[in-house]
Amino acid sequence: MSTARRRSVTKTHERIGQLGWEPTHHQPVTNYPTRYKFPAKAKDPMKQIMREYLPMQLEKDERMYGGFDAAVRANMADKTERRWLEVLKPFVHTTTYIEGCAGRVMSMLMDTVPNHELLNGYHVQFLDELRHIGMQQSLARWYTKNAPEPEGWAMGAKYYTGSPLTKAGYNMGTNTIVGDPVHAGLTMMGVLETAFTNIAFVALPDVAVRNGDFTLPTTYSSAQSDEARHISNGYATLMTLLQEDSNIPLIQQDLAAGWWSTHAFIDPFAGVLMEYFSKNRSDTESYLDKWNRWVNDDYYRSYIEQLGKLGLEMDPAVFLDARERIENGLIHQTAIFAFAIWPLAYWRFDGLNEEDFEWFEARYPGWYDEYGPLWEAFNALKDPEEQTLLLSGFLENAPPMCWSCMMNCLGDEGPLHRVLDGRTRFYCSDQCMKNDVNYPGRYTGDRIFFDKYHGWNLADVIRDIGFIHPDGKTLVGQPHIDDDNRLWTIDDIEACGLEIISPNVRAAEEMGLPNGNWHDPEAPDGAVVTTEMSYVHTSIGGDGLETGPGVIAAGANGNGRRNVAEVIR
Amino acid sequence: MSAPAPPVKRFDDGSQRKGDEERRGFLYFTPQKRRASLYEELTVDTQPSVTRHLTGGWLLSFSDGRGTHSLGSTALRVKDWFDWRDPAGLWERPFYQQAAQAAREQDAAVAVAHSEGLFSRFTEGWKAFLRDSVQLPAFYEYGLWRALCGASRPALSDTITHAIVLEAAMIQRQAQDLVVYAMDLEPEIGPCSTEEAKKRFLEEEGWQPVRALVEHLHAVADWNERVLAANLCIEPLVGTLLRREMLLIPASANGDSVTPVMIGAAQREWHWVRDWTAELVRFCVEDEEFGEQNREIIAEWAEKWNAEAEVAAEAVAKEIERVPHTRLTAEALEHVRRERDELQSALQRQEVAA
Repeated sequence: MSTARRRSVTKTHERIGQLGWEPTHHQPVTNYPTRYKFPAKAKDPMKQIMREYLPMQLEKDERMYGGFDAAVRANMADKTERRWLEVLKPFVHTTTYIEGCAGRVMSMLMDTVPNHELLNGYHVQFLDELRHIGMQQSLARWYTKNAPEPEGWAMGAKYYTGSPLTKAGYNMGTNTIVGDPVHAGLTMMGVLETAFTNIAFVALPDVAVRNGDFTLPTTYSSAQSDEARHISNGYATLMTLLQEDSNIPLIQQDLAAGWWSTHAFIDPFAGVLMEYFSKNRSDTESYLDKWNRWVNDDYYRSYIEQLGKLGLEMDPAVFLDARERIENGLIHQTAIFAFAIWPLAYWRFDGLNEEDFEWFEARYPGWYDEYGPLWEAFNALKDPEEQTLLLSGFLENAPPMCWSCMMNCLGDEGPLHRVLDGRTRFYCSDQCMKNDVNYPGRYTGDRIFFDKYHGWNLADVIRDIGFIHPDGKTLVGQPHIDDDNRLWTIDDIEACGLEIISPNVRAAEEMGLPNGNWHDPEAPDGAVVTTEMSYVHTSIGGDGLETGPGVIAAGANGNGRRNVAEVIR
Repeated sequence: MSAPAPPVKRFDDGSQRKGDEERRGFLYFTPQKRRASLYEELTVDTQPSVTRHLTGGWLLSFSDGRGTHSLGSTALRVKDWFDWRDPAGLWERPFYQQAAQAAREQDAAVAVAHSEGLFSRFTEGWKAFLRDSVQLPAFYEYGLWRALCGASRPALSDTITHAIVLEAAMIQRQAQDLVVYAMDLEPEIGPCSTEEAKKRFLEEEGWQPVRALVEHLHAVADWNERVLAANLCIEPLVGTLLRREMLLIPASANGDSVTPVMIGAAQREWHWVRDWTAELVRFCVEDEEFGEQNREIIAEWAEKWNAEAEVAAEAVAKEIERVPHTRLTAEALEHVRRERDELQSALQRQEVAA
């Protein structure tokens, strides 16, 4: 057989690297301007050549999709713990969206970054991300076809941005495709991928295996094999930027913002998944143990701290605070809130049992005294015949939701807040407040889930978000996974007579602050219009047209585009 | 391009499966045909939008006020960008299968030509041409790639983003293939300097219209204009001249059986691009509410970009005249113009019979 001669990767890459040139006939236009300066020299970290890359990716694809077929034959879905299978609905939807963001931010960078050495790596990453979307959508499809309960999967893309629990994940991911493209890129490559893919794509699949799930680890391990490239892209981008002194304060601000916006969702989300949805209790590590290994040691100490040698002095407080929040119960407090609002979720929840209690107590001494009664109460109320919800009385005491990260404002010191245009915004942390103040007009829309529904009956809220089976009665979210027990219906919820109280509205009133409600029922998108210049300029126009800078005129009449709000269904 | 999955047998009957079997699919979008295709299930609604299921407006906005995605990113309007479908339904798995196959074919073609002494059968004139010019189209491809990559972020639906990204990947591979091929040729026919080719592309008068054309493409803000200028005006004329007329057709007349393997794969990929571009144009100009307005805008773009592409094509034609055993350039130009006009025929307003 004639075989292809081996080529030197370095020589080939050096030749391919000559394809770029500096334009002189026309200067490029970008839709995504940056505050950063790029020096003349940069380095392509991966030396990726399409001729080598394509067969390698195909081989990985073939193995992964082959694994799916094998798992169908072996009926693996039935051998996986039901408790675990249910929570994969929000997990897979969240990661698939983030993959899409990781691709799109590469496009933003490619339109803006002038260094040809970096472009090749960005482009290969976008292709990788398209691969990950296909893989993870295929995984969702596999569960839809094979898992015991298809509800939640079947309407997944609709439900994903409808539940307050996953909408915060959508918000977190969107941080990586909006704003200065370099800020967005550093958040994706320098934080999400470098710090957190080890948690989501390595540590979490380990928990999956313990629960009899082999398709998820097959998929995410294959994705993780691409992440090393993406981490290198982030590092090469940082190394390039650090050559310009004027970039340093920008990196310090943007990296801290990106770190926190990611931590604020990923840690409680992944922590709750791994600790509260694992039926198998063979894992000796707590989420904090995993975090110490993957994030503190492998990211903060080995990566962020080392950047100090290159002139980047990151304030350690923002990293240490994240760890402290986990240590102080961020995951446990988020878990009970998530379980309490089960009717607003599109998956089923399995209450904790004695074995679970023992596992938590062994890893978090004093856990039962603090949280045990709430879990006992959750279990006692899982039967619809009780006609009582844990949520009753819960919102009266729940902390407000954070304007920036959309998660609960937890902690003992009381929520931070500021007043804008006569209304109060709450923040879970100093950094979340900075993330709003330092980037005015960045966080927009009808953000605080319960504001819209303040004073509504819970049954009407569920009807509004549509989390009901096609029979028109049975809820998609359920507080148990036992198919032999009766499932909750919308009538059961109606019978509970629960009126929603927005924790933000309530907290503002209790603290003597101006109106805490940011919902405007008259506005097309339901959001209060603020004086934050950017938002007013284009997002809301009374004439129904999107006008302002960056908007391309349509047709001969010179009008702007229709406003996004006009087409909301 | 998206093949159906074969049936599989289970070890048991899946007795724990509950729920309505009709619910075992993705039901949050309207499929184009009676049943959702695999491509649709893996692609549609992976990009949340306020025009789809996201309620309450965009949660994040740019500092100039644009939402996460902005309808104002293009002058074209349609009822719903998420209704567009790639007629071939290309997604990642078939893409990697086809692209990896192309890579393998090219390696195999070079290996066979080497072992069977086929390079020595190339005519001397062809060898000289390959040494000097085989890499020049790679710079054109690179410029096109650069502009297309930036068009994928603002694109207003996931299906369109997919098509743009996959096209960019194909073009990037084609550009790299030419350089890799030049490296493969060097031991057989002598030095094929990338540096010299670049110098010619950047400095030689004959190549400046091509260079200016792709640089101009990256100087356009509207993502639809970038895509349609590239695929409706530039590629049918300039791209096809460079690939088919300069490399594919004369190769066999010069005793070269290797170059057609590479260019044949590139042309297969171009046909996919051509087909989805035609579908995108049809989708825009047949929109019930905005069709006529879109037709005018695209026709205006086509007029502008056709003129620039013509200048580049004339320049390329002069280069082709120097290629041994090529067909008459007038014939080649007439052929590519006819194909371009056919592709753009949807822009002609149909006369309605009274």
